[in-house]
Amino acid sequence: MCPMSEERLSKETVEHIARLARLELSSAELALYQDRLGRVLGYVKELSSVKTDPKAVVQHVPRDVVALREDRVLDFANTRKLLANAPEKSEDSFLLPAVLDGSNEN
Amino acid sequence: MKINEWNIDSLTGAYRKRSLSPVEVAKYCLSAIEKRGKDLNCFLQVREDAVLASAEDLEKKFNDKAKLPLYGVPIAIKDNFLVDGWQATAASKILQGYVSPYTATSVERLEAAGALIIGKTNLDEFAMGSSNENSAYGPVKNPWDTSRVPGGSSGGSAAAVAAHLCWGALGTDTGGSIRQPASLCGVVGLKPTYGRVSRYGVIAFASSLDQVGPFGRSVNDVARMMEAMAGYDRKDATSSRSVVPVYTESVARASAKNARFGVAKELLEGLDPEVRQSFDLLVQTMVANGAKVVDVSLPHSRYALSTYYLIAPSEASSNLARYDGIHYGYRSKGSRGELEQVYLKSRGEGFGPEVKLRIMLGTYALSAGYYDAYYGKANQVRQLISQDFVQAFEKCDCVLMPTSPSVAFKFGEKAADPLKMYASDVCTLPINLAGLPSVSVPSGLSSDKLPIGVQFVGRHFEEQRILDLAAAYEKLRGPFPIAPGVRE
Repeated sequence: MCPMSEERLSKETVEHIARLARLELSSAELALYQDRLGRVLGYVKELSSVKTDPKAVVQHVPRDVVALREDRVLDFANTRKLLANAPEKSEDSFLLPAVLDGSNEN
Repeated sequence: MKINEWNIDSLTGAYRKRSLSPVEVAKYCLSAIEKRGKDLNCFLQVREDAVLASAEDLEKKFNDKAKLPLYGVPIAIKDNFLVDGWQATAASKILQGYVSPYTATSVERLEAAGALIIGKTNLDEFAMGSSNENSAYGPVKNPWDTSRVPGGSSGGSAAAVAAHLCWGALGTDTGGSIRQPASLCGVVGLKPTYGRVSRYGVIAFASSLDQVGPFGRSVNDVARMMEAMAGYDRKDATSSRSVVPVYTESVARASAKNARFGVAKELLEGLDPEVRQSFDLLVQTMVANGAKVVDVSLPHSRYALSTYYLIAPSEASSNLARYDGIHYGYRSKGSRGELEQVYLKSRGEGFGPEVKLRIMLGTYALSAGYYDAYYGKANQVRQLISQDFVQAFEKCDCVLMPTSPSVAFKFGEKAADPLKMYASDVCTLPINLAGLPSVSVPSGLSSDKLPIGVQFVGRHFEEQRILDLAAAYEKLRGPFPIAPGVRE
């Protein structure tokens, strides 16, 4: 199973994708993914030669699966259990670094 | 025969006669896990006290519960299912220490049927992999040959069942993650129709493909688990309302006579010669016992690998966006001060290499300017793959195909080349893309004494038919050998 053609991705493209995906990568990782992404994308390019109907209805759920039901809120009784998994918390809240500083206040 | 070789019905029968108790069996499993499970690395968590407490509770409630179909049956759960009070790491560092606040519907239903949850099993990180080498907690070893992989991603579940450390196990199958390890470990594994078993409480990988299913040592054991857990769940929007049959009733009297099997030549290319031999022998056995075999054509299945590796990573990149270091899981110590740094560093340090690769693949395929050419196109090809099966099922009731192109391979053999590894799932991927049910059954051993499997694929929601035919084959095949070390 060899890639038919390698898709050469630039280092900048890989950096851009990693940024979009919110992944900090080392320079060694960057080189690794440049190679691996290129190989996989080169392989999957074969799909462009398959004749398809762009207007075809794309359906992946079997027809008898009905997604509709009453839209009802169910309370989750145990917020303590949810908060127990938080890396940082304060009483009944998740803690995160400050998003706003004084200069952004209206 | 030692108790660990009994099937589920014999075990529950012995409980009902009071010749055996759930606590005795729980202790047996815990000691076997301690002796053998540690070496195989198939469990990520075993809570001895909780298991014994549950077994004692089952004993106390004998009068109410002994009639339940899975009363006291030890079942292992893949570590990407939530079970209240147990960890759920998905074999990722990013979820190390995560304790489930509630229980997945499938597990809840097994417990309601009397099952005893015995432990959480190892897997490829976030169920992404075909060898279990992608676990952040070390790979699982194949009980048939510990220098070889058990398959993946549900390698821990398959190995635990093959090594008789439990009577059954749950796995998830997105591209072959139940069937391929079942095949490599010599056990039965069922991937039900998409929508047949609730996905509620299962850590999402690719939501249009993920499906929950059972592992067992026989088709009947798998059918027992299925009838307990399948069916509508209001908490899963893709869960089907169609009626769940009592699978075991029909399985018991199954026969191959007059069955119409389809065989697709396209899917028999590139197989190990011994896998091909075993497949051909199975087909001959079925024909000799009254089944008919017709040629079917699945021409678009050759694009399944490319289609899958665009759709699954795309969905994964979206599903895994939730691991942000805020609500749960790993938060990088080096990210104090700025929110975006929390995301970048926590995710960069918390995810393993294959997961990062797939997140980036998906991000690329979904990004502006590429969406139509990659994700959009893949979905159109997916339709063609599905339509091929619809046409095939006009000529037959069940498609037969090998489960894996090879037997269990050595550690490291495919780890460096993603495409080589992805090709391990070439026989199973088309079935996920089409949303069909498929059960893998052991069909023989190679000259190296490694298991080979064949899958029986059915129409949507025809689990009954494929289980019946698989059971009919199982009877003709006779008892399958037990993995080395189990009887020692």
